[in-house]
Amino acid sequence: MTNSAQTIDPALYAAVTDAVRAEARKVLESGAVAAVVGWQAGRRAGTAMPTIVTDPAKAADLIFSPACVNNLALYLTKAKKEVRGKGKIAIVAKGCDLKALVGLMGENQLKREELHIIGVVCAGVQGAAADRSLPLSEATIAGKCRECTVHTPENTDVTVGTLTELPHFTPTESAELARLEAMTPAERWSFWKEHFSRCIRCYACRQVCPFCYCEQCLCDRNRPQAVETTPRPAGNMAWHIVRAMHLAGRCAGCAECERACPMDIPLNLLNRKMARELKELYGHEAGFKPKEKGPLAEYREDDDQSFIK
Amino acid sequence: MPKTITEQNLRLLIDTLVKEGTRVVGPRAAGTMTLYEPLATGEELHLGELPRRSAKEAFFPLCETILTYEKDKEGVKVSDIDPARFPETVLIGARPCDVAAAPVLDAVFSWDFKDEFFLERRRKTTIIGLACTKADDACFCTAVGLSPSDTKGSDLFLTPLKDGGYRCDVVTEKGEALLSAHAGLFADGTGEPLPLAEPTLGKLDLEKIRNWLDSHFEDPLWEEIAQRCAGCGACAFLCPACHCFDIVDEGGEQKGARRKSWDACGFGKFTGHASGHNPRDVQPQRYRNRIMHKFKYYHDKFGQRLCTGCGRCIRACPVGIDIAAVLEEINNK
Ligand code: SF4
Ligand code: SF4
Ligand code: SF4
Repeated sequence: MTNSAQTIDPALYAAVTDAVRAEARKVLESGAVAAVVGWQAGRRAGTAMPTIVTDPAKAADLIFSPACVNNLALYLTKAKKEVRGKGKIAIVAKGCDLKALVGLMGENQLKREELHIIGVVCAGVQGAAADRSLPLSEATIAGKCRECTVHTPENTDVTVGTLTELPHFTPTESAELARLEAMTPAERWSFWKEHFSRCIRCYACRQVCPFCYCEQCLCDRNRPQAVETTPRPAGNMAWHIVRAMHLAGRCAGCAECERACPMDIPLNLLNRKMARELKELYGHEAGFKPKEKGPLAEYREDDDQSFIK
Repeated sequence: MPKTITEQNLRLLIDTLVKEGTRVVGPRAAGTMTLYEPLATGEELHLGELPRRSAKEAFFPLCETILTYEKDKEGVKVSDIDPARFPETVLIGARPCDVAAAPVLDAVFSWDFKDEFFLERRRKTTIIGLACTKADDACFCTAVGLSPSDTKGSDLFLTPLKDGGYRCDVVTEKGEALLSAHAGLFADGTGEPLPLAEPTLGKLDLEKIRNWLDSHFEDPLWEEIAQRCAGCGACAFLCPACHCFDIVDEGGEQKGARRKSWDACGFGKFTGHASGHNPRDVQPQRYRNRIMHKFKYYHDKFGQRLCTGCGRCIRACPVGIDIAAVLEEINNK
């Protein structure tokens, strides 16, 4: 069984799938919830997509697999009013997705009692360029999962699945962060300038982010225009600074922005850098307990003011 | 007389064209992906994979300035950009699913308003298409009436050969002119072609789909498919046939520019009115427009469809929306 040491057993996901279906069916049939937000299989082998199930008979369409990459918290934000409008919602959530739900509760966007959280034990999901025909391994697993500490979600209404021993994965995200931090400010500036110059302003990063729920994004305004909307260096840089600042202390670290970016811009690296800054400056971390105010939304007398010269 | 060209001579052709002052655009390795970009040398041509973004940007750039303004003592001086200054271009190594979109776009850009920015670039571009030998599970050109060896839109057409090099077919006079100007790089012959790509999706009955769309503006299908849609522009921006654009003035009181850049019907504000009213106020209505425009409206008006089956939107969609699956579902109704 040398193989099992290097790859993640697909049976783990199959067991979770069965349990998710049973739970979804139960809560839909009893009327406890109006809809279940989960994942279903896509047409292409080894793909999945978010789905919103209201009919108990359709609970059998739900799956959990390494293709279930999306952070479904997106569908509970005010950007998706149609979904919230259905009534009490059950949501299938991985450990890393939970942080976003908690963050939204802290921002008064969600109430815990209005949710039925079906936590799934998660061994990992596939990386963006992974060969979908292979089981998860060092070669195919997503960056965030290599350093995951929340394989088994907590504070859910029900958690399904059992974790078995996982292979050891080499961390890549923290290595990249260390590389970034070792750069001089000038090097870092040109690193980001180069990456942002490729941005086409498709806003996939914004649209998949559970925290980009503003009804009027500053970056869409045209009267007056706050940030140039055309994909050119100046506007791109401004857009990415606004994005990073607005998510600092709020970002749940799900890395959906980076996954969604068609231009492969390492957005989560920037998020992680911002998270580190916030931890150092304000001792703040996105976590699993709702906090009413993030550090950038609150003034305290003992805040660091050394930057005021 | 059929012609062939070796791999080496193809790269030499690029070098020669570049030296002559022609802008040559082709697939080029760009970090983690391949993109259609201007080539500095033949060495840079990178034909291994389908470029992440389509070739439409050879005619319809991501962003371009259409005029500039400047205020001085006498008043405001407005300067137009003169399309005459666009360079002669050769687009090389473009896949049939990219090239076929160019003549489709001609229709809308030369309809009630002649868009000289697009049309002048089209006039000045010679397209060397390339037969496709590798499909993935998102490709479906054969399902929408094209094929991996379709020459639609090409001026010259290359087919990779078993023993290396390419067969080169002349499709238009423009292609003939390019070939005869560089005849020394080509040889007579045909060669044995490599097997073509084989997309797996079966044929779609596009007429049936159009008829269904005609009578199902309101249908539960739209919500079922598109309530998951995140409302980004990844599909439209990567698509060879999507061509909506926004026009904005950027700059200040003293000087600035009017710019045209890609837009997407999936964006929430795409149909926003100044009054605040939005006729497409939920995502399923926006996604419906995407399908309607591609497979009904454009066909009603111009007799062509806005999809070549390149699969880019399928690969890029962050929430797994699969246009081929949508078409298949309508086809099976
Ligand atoms: S980070 Fe953890 S919980 Fe999230 S997808 Fe990866 S393994 Fe699963
Ligand atoms: S997803 Fe990528 S390309 Fe699109 S706006 Fe965001 S950073 Fe730019
Ligand atoms: S709609 Fe999708 S598959 Fe069709 S041409 Fe556009 S990107 Fe390609």
